[in-house]
Amino acid sequence: MKSWCIGCGSTGMARPKGRFMESIPQRSVVVVVMAAFLVSVAVAQTRREFRYTVGPHANVSVDTQYGGISVTPGDIDEVVLVAIIQSDKAEVDYQQSGNRIQVVSHVFPGADQQTGRIDYELRVPRDATVSLRSSTGPLAAQHLNGDLTMEGTDAVVDIHDVSNGHVHVSTMRGPVTLTNVQNGHVEISSISGDVTMKTVTGPLVKANSGTGRITYDGDFGSGGDYKFTTHSGDITAIVPASASADFSVHSMLGKVQKDFPLQPRYPHLAFEEGRAFFGTVGKAASAVVLRSFSGRIRLKQR
Amino acid sequence: MTCSDVQQVLPDIVDGDAEFQSHLDSCPACSALVADLRLIAAGAQELAEAEQPPARVWVNIANQLRAEGIIHDPGPVSVRPALLPSRPRRSIVWWLAPVAAAVLAAVSYQVAHKQQPFQTKVAVQPATQQPAQSVTASQTPQSTPAELASPATKHPQQLAQDRTPSSSKTARPADSKVEENRVAAEVSPPASAEDQRFLTEVSERTPGMRSTYENQLRAVNGEIRDTLEFVRRHPGDIDARQHLLEVYQQKAMLYQMALDRIQ
Repeated sequence: MKSWCIGCGSTGMARPKGRFMESIPQRSVVVVVMAAFLVSVAVAQTRREFRYTVGPHANVSVDTQYGGISVTPGDIDEVVLVAIIQSDKAEVDYQQSGNRIQVVSHVFPGADQQTGRIDYELRVPRDATVSLRSSTGPLAAQHLNGDLTMEGTDAVVDIHDVSNGHVHVSTMRGPVTLTNVQNGHVEISSISGDVTMKTVTGPLVKANSGTGRITYDGDFGSGGDYKFTTHSGDITAIVPASASADFSVHSMLGKVQKDFPLQPRYPHLAFEEGRAFFGTVGKAASAVVLRSFSGRIRLKQR
Repeated sequence: MTCSDVQQVLPDIVDGDAEFQSHLDSCPACSALVADLRLIAAGAQELAEAEQPPARVWVNIANQLRAEGIIHDPGPVSVRPALLPSRPRRSIVWWLAPVAAAVLAAVSYQVAHKQQPFQTKVAVQPATQQPAQSVTASQTPQSTPAELASPATKHPQQLAQDRTPSSSKTARPADSKVEENRVAAEVSPPASAEDQRFLTEVSERTPGMRSTYENQLRAVNGEIRDTLEFVRRHPGDIDARQHLLEVYQQKAMLYQMALDRIQ
C-alpha cells in the first residue's frame, strides 16, 4: 500500500532511515494534525445565544464590522440572536431599551478581518424593524413584514419574500439581490454594486448604482413609481406581456432599446433616436423611469 | 370665469396665453399673481450659472469649525465601532458630516435653481439644438477656446468619445466597461483637500479600507466630472442636472459610510 508523508511531496518514495516520520504511521500524523487544527479553531470560535422578550413592532439593529448577518422570522414576542465569535479579539456588546435592541461587534485593536469576525443569526418577529450593517457581509433577510435597512461596504445583500415594509439598502461595492418583495417602499443605492430585482413591486421602488448593472424582472405592479438610474452601468427591465406601465427611458450617452412596441407618450415631440423613448403599455398603471448617463438601457418582454 | 379657473392654467397664462386676459383685466388679485409669477420666471432665467465654490471656501469653513472647537486634530487610532453610548465617541470625523451635507446642499441648490420655470416635461433635445450663448468663458473656466467656439454642435456620442481615453474609444461591449471604469478612475484623482483628508482619516482608522475608499472616490469624482461637463454643454437637459445631483448624493453616501464605520 502506498503511503505519503508531509514534506516528501510524493507517494511511496524512499525515505532515509532513522527519521522521526518513519517510526509513526504517517496517516495517523495527518489525522492528529488535522484534529488539532480543528480543535483549536473550535476552541477559538465561540457561539453565544441571546434572547430578548419584545412587544409588537420591535426595533432591532445589528452592527458588525466583519461578519455576516442573517435574519429569519421567529416567535412573535422574542428576538433570538446567535453570535459566532471567531476569536477573543472581538466581543458582542448589546443593549435593550424596551422594544429596542442594539447589538454591536466590539473589535479590539489589532484584530483583522478573520480574528475580528462575528457572524450573527437573528430570529425576529415578522413585524420587527430591522437594521443591519456590516462591512464584509453577507447580509440576508427573508420572510419579514417590517421595515428593513441594510448597509454594507462590500457586503453581498440578499433579501427575499419580504412584504409591506420599507426596504432600504446601501452598499459601496456589494451586489444587491431582491426577490419577491411585495408592496414595499424600496430604495437601493450602490456605488458600484450590481442590483438585481425579481418580482419586486410597491408604491415606490428606486434603485441607483454608479457603475453597477440594474436588472429588473417583473411586471411593475400597479400604481407604483419605479425609478432606476445608473452612471455607466446597464439597465435591463424584463416585463411580461401583461405589464401596465408608463415608460420614460433616457440614456444621455448610451443606447436605449426595446423589443416590443409602446404607445407613444409624446407623439408630437421628436427625441434623439436610440437615446430615449417615452411610451405606455397596457393601462399605464405604474410610472417607470429608467435613466443612465452612459449605460445601455434595454426593455425586454418576457 | 372664476379665479379658480385661472389658477388652474397659471403656467399657460404666464407663458403668454391671452385667452384669460379679460379676467386678468377685471381681477386685481389674479393680475397681481400673474405679474409676480412672470417676475419670478424672468428672474430665474437670468440667474447666472453657478460655479463650484473655490477651495478657499471649504478651507474657511474648516477653519471656522476648528475655531469653534467642532473639529479637532486626529486622535489615536481605534477600530472600535461607536454605536453604544457607554463608550466615548471620537469627534475627529465630525467634519465629514458638514462637508458631505454642504456638498449636497450646494449641488441641490444648483440643480434646483437651474431648472427652467414651469417646465414639466422631460424633453430630450438633440445636442445641436442647445443654445450656444448659454456657455460663456466665465462660466466654464476649464473649457478650451475650441470648445467655446463650437460648444454645442457635437453629437453627445462624439462628446463622449472626446472625453474617453483613446484606449477605450471603441464600441462599448460589456467586457470593456470594467476597463473603461478603471481607466476613468485612474485619470480622476481625488480632487479636493477634503477628499485627501477623508482618505487620510480612513487610512488612519481602517488602513485596510484605504484603497477601497480611494478607488470608489476616484470613480465617483470621475462621474461628477463627466456629468458636470455634460451639463455645461447641455444646460437645458433636466435629466443631466438630476443625474448630477444623484452622483453628488453617491459621494455623500460614500462619506457617510466611512463616517459610520470609522468614528
